[in-house]
Parts: sequence; C-alpha cells; structure tokens
Amino acid sequence: MLKKLGVIVTVLVLFASIVGAQSPFQGSPSETYYMITFLSGINFWKACFSGFEAAAELLGVRAVYTGHPTFDINGEVTVFNQVAAKKPAGIAVTAINPDAFVKPINEAIEKGIPVVTFDSDSPDSKRYSFIGVGNKNAGAAAAHFIAKLLGGKGEVALLYSVGQGNVEERVQGFLETVERHYPGLKVVAKVNDGGEQLTATRNMAAALQAHPEIDAIFCVDGVAGVGGAQAVKETGNVGKVKVLAFDVDPAVISYVKSGIIDGTVVQGMSAMGFWSMMALYLLQHNLVPEAYIPKFVDCGVIIATKDNIADVLDAQGLTPTGLPKK
Amino acid sequence: MSQNVEILQKKRTRIGIFKFRESILTIVIIGLGGVLSLLTPYFLTSSNISAVLIGLSAEGLVTIGMVMVMIAGEIDLSVGGIMALSSVVAGALFLSGVNIWLSAVVGFVLGALSGFVNGWLVGTRKINSFIITLAMMGMTRGIAYILTQGSPLAIGGVPKLFESFGGGDILGIPIFALIFLSCAVVGEFCLRKVKPFREFYFVGSNVTSARLTGIDVGKTKMRVFILSAMLASLAGILTLSRFLVATPITGTGVELRAIAAAVIGGTSFSGGEGTILGAVLGVLIVNLINNALILLNVSVYWQSFVNGLLLLVVVLIDNFTQKRSQ
Repeated sequence: MLKKLGVIVTVLVLFASIVGAQSPFQGSPSETYYMITFLSGINFWKACFSGFEAAAELLGVRAVYTGHPTFDINGEVTVFNQVAAKKPAGIAVTAINPDAFVKPINEAIEKGIPVVTFDSDSPDSKRYSFIGVGNKNAGAAAAHFIAKLLGGKGEVALLYSVGQGNVEERVQGFLETVERHYPGLKVVAKVNDGGEQLTATRNMAAALQAHPEIDAIFCVDGVAGVGGAQAVKETGNVGKVKVLAFDVDPAVISYVKSGIIDGTVVQGMSAMGFWSMMALYLLQHNLVPEAYIPKFVDCGVIIATKDNIADVLDAQGLTPTGLPKK
Repeated sequence: MSQNVEILQKKRTRIGIFKFRESILTIVIIGLGGVLSLLTPYFLTSSNISAVLIGLSAEGLVTIGMVMVMIAGEIDLSVGGIMALSSVVAGALFLSGVNIWLSAVVGFVLGALSGFVNGWLVGTRKINSFIITLAMMGMTRGIAYILTQGSPLAIGGVPKLFESFGGGDILGIPIFALIFLSCAVVGEFCLRKVKPFREFYFVGSNVTSARLTGIDVGKTKMRVFILSAMLASLAGILTLSRFLVATPITGTGVELRAIAAAVIGGTSFSGGEGTILGAVLGVLIVNLINNALILLNVSVYWQSFVNGLLLLVVVLIDNFTQKRSQ
C-alpha cells in the first residue's frame, strides 16, 4: 500500500516538475539580457535597472547593466556593438541620439537579437518597442497638480532647459492642459535653466524679482528642480511660492521632505526597465506574434509629495534619500 | 651643422630604443588578446573585432596628429572641438542644400584653418600652445553649438558612397579603420624618412639648436598644428559619415584620450620623442581594456578608474626604468 502511494507521489512529483519546466515564463540563467545607457551609473538608470533586474529574477534569467560613462555617441555605440557581438538574449538601450543608433540597432536585429529602446527612442530603427514616458502627459499631470495646489487660480513660472526636445514637450503638455482646463491659471514667465544649477538659480531669482506676483514654479527638468527651490529659498519666498519639481535628484528629495518643494514629478523608471525586460523575453522566446508587442509603452508619472515620497522612491528601487538600493 | 648631425645620431639611437618599447606594447596586446580569448569566446569574433576597430578609429586619427604635435614640443587641446566644427559645418551646409561632397570639403578646410590659426599664434607669435588651443577648443566647439543650437543635425539621404567611408567595410574590416591605419602607416613613414616631418623631432628636443641648423621653427610648428587639425577634421567628417548625424558633442574629451594614448605609446611630454606606431599600440591597448571590461561584464563604475590606472602604471614604469638607466 505504502509502496503504491510512494509510486503515485513520485509520478505526481515528476509530472509537476515536467509541467513546471514547461512554463513558458521560466527562462534559463545562461540567458543574458543587457541594459545599455550613456552616462552610465547615474541614479536614473539604476532605478530603471532595478525594474529590469526584478523582471529577470521573476523569469529566472540574467540581467547585466553596462554603458559608457560619458555623454559620447561613439562611446555608447561602441559599447552597444561590443555587447551585440556577444549575441545576448536581448538588449534594452536608451539611445543617446536617435539617428546614430539606427544602424547599430538594425544590425543587431538582423543578427536575431531582440532590441527595445527605453527612455530615449530611436524611432527610425527597427527596434521592436519604445518603453518610455509620454512627455506631454507628464506635463499635463503637472498642470493638474499645480491647479489643485493653487485652487485653480494664480500665476505660474516655468523653469527649464530651453530647446531640449523632451523638456519642450513637457512644457507643451503643461500649456495645453492649462489652456483647456484652467482659465484661472496664467503662465507669466518662461525661464531658461541653462542645463546647470547655478544658472537655474540665478535666472529664477531674477524672474522672481521681476514678477513678484508669481504663485508657483513648475521646474520642468532635474536641474530646474534644485535651482528653482534654491531661488525661492534665497529670495525669502518659501511657502509663498509653491514649487513643483521634476525627477528625484537627492537635493530635490530633501527639499520635498522639508516642504520647500511641494511635489516632484517621478517618471516610471522601474516600469521602463521591467517592461523592457518582459518585451525582450517574449521576443527571445517567440511566445507571441510580434504584433502583440506594443510599439510604444507609456510608463507614466506619479507626483511624489511629502506624504508619499518614501513609498514612491522605494517602488523605483531607490532608498529614501534617492540613492540606488544596490 | 655638426650639432645637427649629433642630434640626428641621438635620434637614431632613440628610435632604436623605441622599437624596444613598441615590442613590449605588442607583447602586452597579444597577451591581452590571448587572455581575453581564453576568458570569453566572444573576443575573437569578427563582429567584436570590427566593433573595437571602428570604435577607436576617430580617436586614433586624432592621436596621430597629437603625437606629431607633442614631438614638436607642443600640445593641441582643440582637436575635439575641431572634430565637432568640421562635422557640424558639413552637416549644416548639406541641410541647407549644398552637395554633401562640397559640404565635407568646406568642413574639412575650416577645421584645417583652425589649425593654421593655432600654428600661426604658437609658431610666429610664440604664445603658449596650451592656452591658444584651449581658447580654440572653446571657440570651435562653441561654433558647433551656435550652428546647431544644441540639437543634432540628421543628414539622412546622403549618397551611399559618402555613407560607406564611415560606415562601410571591406572584407569585414571597417573602411574607417582602414583609413586610420593607412594614415598611421604614412605618418610613421614620414616621421622616419621625410625631412619636413623629421624636423618635428629637432624642434621638439632643442629649439635653439634647431634654429641654428637653419630650421624655420615657426613654420615647422605651423605645419604640425595644421596636420593635427587636418586629421581631427578628417575624424569629424568620417564620424558624420558613420552616424549620419552632426552633433556639437562630437569628439568631447578626445584630446585627453589622445594624449593618454600617445604617452602610453612612448611620446614624451617635453617634446622630441615619440612614434606613431607606439601611439597606435597605445590606442589599441586602451580600447582592448575597455572591450575586456564590457565582455567580462565588469561594473560600469570601474571603466574610468581602469583607464586612469593604466596611464599611471605606464608612466610609473617609465619613471623607474629611466632612473635605473641614469
């Protein structure tokens, strides 16, 4: 009797293990997927990679992060080509320049390597998908937040890197939303942050002198967040002028916690990494027809305030001070 | 005259010693290649070798010029800016409707002209080359920024032939790399055999005696800066042809990488010593080590450190061996 039971159990276990092994979502540890960036190692990419790694862990495959330390086209393309030479299971790349990456991406895909872009796209390449954040939507979310903060009425300044494509799109989304929904809001000043904190602070402080009626500042990029808050602080306007920042620079985080900044727009960084990995896995294993893979995934934004910033950072793979957990 | 003969003889023996250094570098490269091909099966694949070769070609072209400038006892910090200038000018002209070949020639000539200005100020006006080329570095890159307004210029739709110079290959070897290697061979030959080039050594090791033997020091220095600028412009145009995009960030930091490679290859900072062969080997070593870091999945944070360490080790070895020989 006992022997029979033993046999049944053994058969069941064997069956279960076979069924288990056949799960299409069980990869092998020898499958290596790469995430490649320029300016490698900065917090933003680390947060993206935390999602990439989390997905790899679920699927039982290996995730590797690499890239080029400077803002150099040849540098990132060279790393990409060298990684592609290893014939990895898949590559998620953020393209430093959309045109420079067309050829490298297409060559990798011709070799049978699945490639997706995340954060910065190369739309003319044959990449299977672009997983990023809709900049216009991010700007719209900011407009809704500021309207709520000011009770739908007041004067707003925008601080940003003038001429930088993704940032200009956010501004456009902000302006369109204000125009459509909030007649009481008025954008009275557009200030250039010059891509650098000192310039951002100086220019914003000057704008605050010129427009003492400003009720809120939307700082549209990471540099602006620090500079805008600094200007508000140095001109003695804390509390009087509301500040909405962008991204999670450690300085921005500490200002959010101390109340100088009212909120910051956090991009879905870990989601970009996670869905990049999922798309690459599906493609590598031929699990679905190519048409099932969306050409664009908007990972969305969430606005972090004093109340929820710790949770938001945690979900993005960052510590409460905004540093990578790993 | 006897002094000239003396210097010549001294040079000959020095060149003899350099063969020793170059063979050491070659052994290191072969050793590195051997270890790498044992550690990873991907090192000796044609796609990896070609990725390494095309990745180092622009830097290599610039290094050839840098070696000549350093032999003549000067330094050229403007090479990266000149790369950006030539490629952006060519790109902007093409986009305004000019034929791509003519655009490329104009970009090249403008780059060479910057070298002429460098050479005139250093050679004739006798101003320190570090300062002059630092100013030229800012101005050339500045013009690239002004012309592009910061955003990249995509030049899709150029003739295939133009594209093939930077992006094509012959029997799997990138044409860009072949151009670089031919320039290196011709340069090395000229430095050894052709008088106007050999004068760089005399001027670099002892200006006074060079002048006494009848060498026009001013003209020699002008010649070397024009050559360096021409090579940098060529690198810029080929980079444009490779990526089909002209950006003001092209060649950022290349001056320092070129100086490092030259020094690793045995070029002296105080002038009068150096070979192109050595510098080419230096470029190769630096890039092979970077390739190794990527193939072996070494953390991105180590890349800058290892490059710095390599330079330090080479300089220290030089320092110790020289002390011993004294």
